[in-house]
Amino acid sequence: MKVFRLLTRTLVTFCAVVAACAFVLVIVLTFVVSGFRDVTISGWNVLGSQVARWFLFWAGIYVVHNTLPIAIAHGRTRREFLSAATGFSVVLAVAMSLIVWVGFVVEGGIYSAMGWKADPHGSVVAYFLMFLVWCAVGMFCAAAFDRFGAAGVFSVPVGLMLVMVTTAGIPGAGNLPFVPDLPSLMGAGWHLVSVVAFAGAVLGTWVVARDMPVRVRTL
Amino acid sequence: MFDDRSPIYRQIADRIKADVLSGVLKADEQVMSTNQYAAYYRINPATAAKAFQQLVDERVLYKKRGIGMFVSAQARDMLRAQGRENFFGEVVDPMVAEARAIGIPLADVIRRIEQHQQGDM
Amino acid sequence: MRVDVQGLTLRYGDVTAVDDMSFSLSGNKIYGLLGRNGSGKTSLMSALAGYRKPSGSVQLDGEPVFENAAAMRQVCLVRHTADAADKGDKVSYVLEYGAAWRDTWDNPYALELVELFKIPLKSKVGELSLGQRSALGVVIGLASRSPLTMLDESHLGMDTPTRYAFYDALLTDFMAHPRTIIISTHLIEELASLLEEVVIIDGGRLVLQEEADVLRSRGTEVTGNAADVDEFTAGLTVLSSKSLGRSKSAMVYGGLDDGQFVRARQLGLELGPIALQDLFVHLTEPVGGKR
Repeated sequence: MKVFRLLTRTLVTFCAVVAACAFVLVIVLTFVVSGFRDVTISGWNVLGSQVARWFLFWAGIYVVHNTLPIAIAHGRTRREFLSAATGFSVVLAVAMSLIVWVGFVVEGGIYSAMGWKADPHGSVVAYFLMFLVWCAVGMFCAAAFDRFGAAGVFSVPVGLMLVMVTTAGIPGAGNLPFVPDLPSLMGAGWHLVSVVAFAGAVLGTWVVARDMPVRVRTL
Repeated sequence: MFDDRSPIYRQIADRIKADVLSGVLKADEQVMSTNQYAAYYRINPATAAKAFQQLVDERVLYKKRGIGMFVSAQARDMLRAQGRENFFGEVVDPMVAEARAIGIPLADVIRRIEQHQQGDM
Repeated sequence: MRVDVQGLTLRYGDVTAVDDMSFSLSGNKIYGLLGRNGSGKTSLMSALAGYRKPSGSVQLDGEPVFENAAAMRQVCLVRHTADAADKGDKVSYVLEYGAAWRDTWDNPYALELVELFKIPLKSKVGELSLGQRSALGVVIGLASRSPLTMLDESHLGMDTPTRYAFYDALLTDFMAHPRTIIISTHLIEELASLLEEVVIIDGGRLVLQEEADVLRSRGTEVTGNAADVDEFTAGLTVLSSKSLGRSKSAMVYGGLDDGQFVRARQLGLELGPIALQDLFVHLTEPVGGKR
């Protein structure tokens, strides 16, 4: 529990602060843009659908690459840490999707006050699932690179497959390569596929990191 | 400081004995605790404890439970007696050997000692 | 804390860092782990701290350590510049991790040490000098108050006054809170008087484990006429010898008995002690020597 508590307290707070700053920046940019042309899309959705998942991916990498060795050095087991990190990824994804949702509400208010138009965005659940999988895949790839060095690159195609479906429910997140009409074929089934992808990423992280040595830090 | 070339506990014991002989440490005077000694001289406390135990065994020091270690009343006399026993073997004999090796007649050595005795030196 | 190592082997690819090593430490002493570069010190300690999965067994107070939460709680290993200090983290944040994750962590003491070593709390670890980073490692190691605390080359980059401050802090804290401390170092001369027991390893194997003071009495340097020295040292363990003209000096390992002392005097040989550092140099094979 101690590991989980510190991770959520510090990292979730940090990510929330970053997200809040990003929101202010987006609103300011939107006002700047409105001086030149009509506002027709949601600035917050550009961030939420494109940038945010990479931020969650980074958070996953940070947790395994930077924090796992510290936990072991302070007498925690990999097992303890990985279960804490799994819980943390859920909490972080919940927190970030709520922030995204609050952002849409506030942005919607501003847009209607200014008479601007916004394009559609996804549901809170869609953002939550996307964030969850991206964070877990970040952990998986970090574990693979830390454990196997350059051979960790083989985790990248696996990671790509796992995150592929997560953008299905989010407008503006881009079409899937090769199989652009897969989301419409799956219908609501992509929720389940996302959950399975999350489980797969967590399992992969567990398998790779379970016996992982702590490398000597370079000077 | 202690050197690293012979057991440190023996060096500690020798130093305390020397202090008792020279009168720096007097009878029934308390000596530093093991930990104070270890911290002061930057040595392992177990090593210091070993030296103190040896001195207790040799009756140079005695323990007062809960208070510390003290110089025993007979320590100085005892160490002087031991010193006298070893003096000729450890000091005089090698001196004589050295004098012979470098060609100083023993008569000269004796004359020098006599000067000390008469207080000329 | 008692440490038992049985048949421990660690390999990295083709390199065998630790080769079938077995020994036991009875605990609550300051141990010196001495070995040349690449002798396997860091690998051995990594296995003791559960950093690395061992083949063979590593037990702390009878419990295997790897992925064992109860045993892991009792161990702290600081390798070179601290595994618990991420380069991107501020020093104050590094201490927060310790306070949050270590049950035995003493934060007031950690802050006291940070002050002693003049480590700026607001700086990032990556901005510290090598000596400061090493000192931060010492802070993490000592403030963890772990029943098994291991410091690997913690003196790296420290200047002389800082090293002595480190030795004093270590000794004072050990006396106040006795625990098992293992220090690996190259600076044997400086540290030797702090050690109660010495473990020497070479090429991944155990060379010897001995009380430091006993080891000091084990080595004798025999000097005299070459033929006499050869006669005297026949059958003894000679670590090294050197000749100058007709005189010769040999380093003998192993205590001498009274008969040997008498014989040495008869032969006119000079017997002298050997420093721990020299014993170490000769017990682990010389550079370019046989392996």
